[in-house]
Amino acid sequence: MRRILLVEDNEMNRDMLSRRLQRRGYEVIMATDGQQGVTMAQSRSPDVVLMDMSLPVMDGWEATRTLKSSPDTKDIPVIALTAHAMSTDREKAMEAGCDDYDTKPIELTRLIGKIESLIARFSNDIVQTEATT
Amino acid sequence: MNQQPFVEDIETYAQDIVDTVREPLLMLDTNLRVQSANRAFYETFQVSPIETEDQLIYELGNGQWDIPSLRTLLEDVIPTSSVFNDFELEHTFPIIGRRVMLLNGRKLRAGSHSAIIVLAMEDVTERRRSEADLRAIETYAQDIVDTVREPLLILDTTLRVQSGNRAFYHTFRVSPDETENRLIYELGNGQWDIPALRTLLEDIVPTSSVFNDFELVHDFPELGRRVMLLNARKLQAGHHGELVVLAMEDVTERRRAEEEAVAAKEASEAANQTKSMFLANMSHELRTPLNAIVGYSEMLHEEATEQGLESFAVDLNKIHSSGRQLLGLINDILDLSKIEAGKMELFLEDFDLKLLIDDVAATIGPMVKKNANVLKIECSADLGGMRADQAKMRQALFNLLSNAAKFTHEGTVTLNAARERMDGTEWIVFQVVDTGIGLSSEKLLRLFQDFTQADPSTTRKFGGTGLGLALTRRFCQMMGGDVTVHSDEGKGSTFTIKLPAIVSELEIPRVEDLPGEDVPIANIDRRTGDPAPSPGTCVLVIDDNASQRDIMRRFLVKEGYCVRCAGSGEEGLRLAREMLPIAITLDVMMPEMDGWEVLKVLHADPALSEIPVIMLTMVDDPERGIRFGATEYLTKPVNRHRLSRILKRYACSAAACPVLVVEDDEAMRKSMRQLLEKNGCRVAEAENGKTALALMEKEKPTLIFLDLRMEVMDGFEFVEEVRRHSEWRSIPIIVVTAQDLTSGERKRLNGNVEMILHKSGQSRQELFSHVIDALDNSAVPRLTTV
Repeated sequence: MRRILLVEDNEMNRDMLSRRLQRRGYEVIMATDGQQGVTMAQSRSPDVVLMDMSLPVMDGWEATRTLKSSPDTKDIPVIALTAHAMSTDREKAMEAGCDDYDTKPIELTRLIGKIESLIARFSNDIVQTEATT
Repeated sequence: MNQQPFVEDIETYAQDIVDTVREPLLMLDTNLRVQSANRAFYETFQVSPIETEDQLIYELGNGQWDIPSLRTLLEDVIPTSSVFNDFELEHTFPIIGRRVMLLNGRKLRAGSHSAIIVLAMEDVTERRRSEADLRAIETYAQDIVDTVREPLLILDTTLRVQSGNRAFYHTFRVSPDETENRLIYELGNGQWDIPALRTLLEDIVPTSSVFNDFELVHDFPELGRRVMLLNARKLQAGHHGELVVLAMEDVTERRRAEEEAVAAKEASEAANQTKSMFLANMSHELRTPLNAIVGYSEMLHEEATEQGLESFAVDLNKIHSSGRQLLGLINDILDLSKIEAGKMELFLEDFDLKLLIDDVAATIGPMVKKNANVLKIECSADLGGMRADQAKMRQALFNLLSNAAKFTHEGTVTLNAARERMDGTEWIVFQVVDTGIGLSSEKLLRLFQDFTQADPSTTRKFGGTGLGLALTRRFCQMMGGDVTVHSDEGKGSTFTIKLPAIVSELEIPRVEDLPGEDVPIANIDRRTGDPAPSPGTCVLVIDDNASQRDIMRRFLVKEGYCVRCAGSGEEGLRLAREMLPIAITLDVMMPEMDGWEVLKVLHADPALSEIPVIMLTMVDDPERGIRFGATEYLTKPVNRHRLSRILKRYACSAAACPVLVVEDDEAMRKSMRQLLEKNGCRVAEAENGKTALALMEKEKPTLIFLDLRMEVMDGFEFVEEVRRHSEWRSIPIIVVTAQDLTSGERKRLNGNVEMILHKSGQSRQELFSHVIDALDNSAVPRLTTV
């Protein structure tokens, strides 16, 4: 089962997205700020991180930079979740090292498409067994 | 008596003096009988001494001197006093007509003679008349001065008031007595003793003789604080000497109104900004709970479907789609307010168009099916990708398609996409064609305005806020393109989006970054401060949109035209009259006075009606354009190559238009070209009339050198053809021929050509010197590098 780390401070968004993903068969672990997100990415090795950008303690850009600068976590794909039409947010997210982005409100099919293609792309480069667990 | 001859001598001497005097004199005895008169008298009144001497004065010239007032003078005044001066007598004399005489009388004793009365008469008729004329002129001048509604003071060079006009006395509530012959500084208890005014009158006027629009703010005792605009002029006023006219215009109200207007504008801008901020914040606040509604309803719908709870699923779907709709509206409002606040940005990325279109088609599918419509997608094979803001592109297409779907029932909605080349750049053209209700011309014009639907009743029938189109248009403009519409009421509409295939951020002119409007371009030397180009050299651009104006101006300047811009119809008309442009580009959609109205005024004015007008519009309705008298009709975004071609066909700018040589002999043509180019001309060649006409279709020449004997179309036919076209009628034609012309042939050319030069009978050199003369006389614009 694929493990998704959802880093999101808004409780309702977190609740909705996690439940919808779980119903599609994903394991969802959650963090409510950037710092916690980094810690969980290190300790729980998710297949993909869904990162909200405006987060308390440590924002999403900083958290992504931290993940991408560590050898342990740099191969975990990060998808930035940005607000509608905020192109600067998107650009900043890509600059921080995010591998893709999606805009809120979340369109589940589209997001899952992005999740799957990123995981496929990354798993070609890393250990093949990851995909089969 | 040796004294006798001496006395006679003296009397002759006296008579000589009397005769020398140029004013008529009569010598009367005390009985008023004429003793003698002088030569001037006889000449003036055209009488002889015999008719005069020893006659009673009243009997002279058939009683012409029997004048009651003269009788009074002679019979009442003379006996009692020995002298009277300057008695003015106005009388109509039989021979010399009405005269004004100034009479001077003196009683004197003259040796042995008894007392005589010398009556001198001076004819002052002319003097009195010119004095009256002068008085009339002065009264007239004063009347004018009094009619002027702004207060005027006439000062002498010592700054003493000669007079004021009625407006002055009225405005400052003073009387002429308090004013005239006083120093200006003494007036009204020194209310004009203002340092700034002193400087002006004492330093500036004496040296420069004129000053304009000096603004004086002063607290006047009676009037309160006033802003006066002072204008002064030193003038020579005949016998009055040098005077200074000081005109004062009370602009207090105007200034106040201006200040209020500025304040109001600032306030409204601030309010607008506040509104945009409010909308942006509000939208954000609205979106958060709405996201939950949309998200949870979608989630519940999925769950209900999975668990087979169909009836729940239907209702949950209704909540979900309503939520989405509401979210869409809020996003539109947010976008528009962002654009208004100047905070909307472009996020440029490369993307594949086919993927985008498929995506949009999938999204719009359910809406199209709802009204039983068929969606057709037609993409050209070479469509490929583009660089633009994908999200805005998607939204623009979605908006057009959802409109088409909304207003069409059981019809077809087609989306065409193609790649086109214009102006050397690649453009992507999307067309959304529907077979729906269509729009009338009036509705078309209102279509793109924010918050406006073509028809208020539409809102009730079809729903929607009218934001979609406005937003689509703003998005396209931000990306350097535009949206146009063509529609037939009842038959359907076509919306066309044209965008550069590679949108660059640099190309988007920000209004505030543009240079000032009135910066004169090209031929105008800024240092001389001469803002007016000489008439007939420039293209006038009339458009209310500053960035459109700037784009057009840059393009035209690059094409070699001198350009003036106007931001409104009124200003455009004023400039058109002033500069007589060689062509006008006219935007149709402008506030207040729109392009059609401007066109109407241009056509009604004989001085302007011949100027070619190129209408630029978003609405693709060329018939209307031509019907209203537009020369050409282009849709936005303007195809620059077409514009350039049109301008060349109708208008010559300095050094832009060629001299055309129509000649079948190649050697002759080449040497003419050499000669003309050496003299700074641009040259076009044609070997017969037909090719010449084809060339002229593309570019209007300034001057034509024409051979007569040519194959295909000869010179005679060519001349007739050229004169048939009104836009060519003014081009001078100079015939260069080897043949002798018959009188019939001469007649055919007569009045249609400027000059006929003969190749034969003179050397090449002589012929060429005639050509140069012709060139000089025709005032053809030439490059200066001769």
